[in-house]
Amino acid sequence: MSTRVEGRGAEGERDLADTRLSLRLYEEYKTFFARAERERRWNPFDDVPWDQIRKDVPEDLALCAETFCAVEAYLPDYVSEGLAVVRPYMGQLWFQANWGYEESKHALSLQEFLLRSGARTDEQMIDLQHRLWVGKKWTPLFRTGRQMTIYGAIQEQATFVFYCRQRERAKALGHETLRVIYDFIARDEIAHTHFYEGVIRVLLEEDREGTLADFALVSRDFKMPAFDLVPDYDQRVMVMRDLANMDRDVFLQKVYFPVLKRVGVTRAEIVSAMRKARDAEQGESSPAA
Amino acid sequence: MNNEELFALFREVVQSIEKRPLEDVTPDSVIADLGIDSLGMMEIVGELESRLDVMIPDDQLVKLRTVADLLGVVQKRLEAR
Repeated sequence: MSTRVEGRGAEGERDLADTRLSLRLYEEYKTFFARAERERRWNPFDDVPWDQIRKDVPEDLALCAETFCAVEAYLPDYVSEGLAVVRPYMGQLWFQANWGYEESKHALSLQEFLLRSGARTDEQMIDLQHRLWVGKKWTPLFRTGRQMTIYGAIQEQATFVFYCRQRERAKALGHETLRVIYDFIARDEIAHTHFYEGVIRVLLEEDREGTLADFALVSRDFKMPAFDLVPDYDQRVMVMRDLANMDRDVFLQKVYFPVLKRVGVTRAEIVSAMRKARDAEQGESSPAA
Repeated sequence: MNNEELFALFREVVQSIEKRPLEDVTPDSVIADLGIDSLGMMEIVGELESRLDVMIPDDQLVKLRTVADLLGVVQKRLEAR
């Protein structure tokens, strides 16, 4: 499809390309939202079998739920900072708002589980929130909407895999209430992944080289959110990895490669973009540059 | 290319990507213990593939634990050409 308009020049062409991108991203959001309304809405108070909750929650299971709560505690920062980087694209802005609503249910239901099961007290949760919030603020790892979209796809897929593993463990231990919570959450997470992937496919069509460069950057510097903010993060993650049987192989096999495949990018393309970035950095740092 | 040359190439590639010297690395070293995460290893493998014109399937890449595992897979691919 030609975007050239007589008499408008390069500026006009850029405007048209941007308008086309805005429309395509809004379509992605509408598809995501329509499906969410039809298939995925759930109420943390009414749809979770709270009457089946058990009081004998193993500490490692409780610690995992608490850690997810802790990471979600920065949700207001994720939303406000996220909104700032995806401007001016309405589809992504509205997704961000809806994403915040869905993620808030995840934190809320896990917190309810910890309190109602007796695994944690109100005082313990308030103490944790205090340690999470006082003097701390989450800032994005990446600067642009495109980079954060790629980051979102990988991070949400990783979270999806974590939640699925936790769901299986809750099921194996007979904690039906927690199994149902993780089931709802995992369903939301994979829907978020698919939205981000849809946006990435659009971005690849609009600017493949630039999107691949951002993919390489995000892959090189990828870290899970709030890794530097949550108290005792490393020990918590170690417990979570052991319980969920998540190791290096799983990250590539279940998280990274599936995302690459679904957005239609090969490993060779990413490695090539990584090499270009390295060469550019070396060029910049050499005295002759 | 013999095993020593391959190991030397591995060191060179890792140093160019990680931008730090690799001390005390041996073929028995566990890749994770060298401070290389899974995406870092993917980059290293990709660079070796590019320089040696071989292709390592994704399902083999995810199973690599030690430097010797990686070099063994690359060597097999070289011999199969």
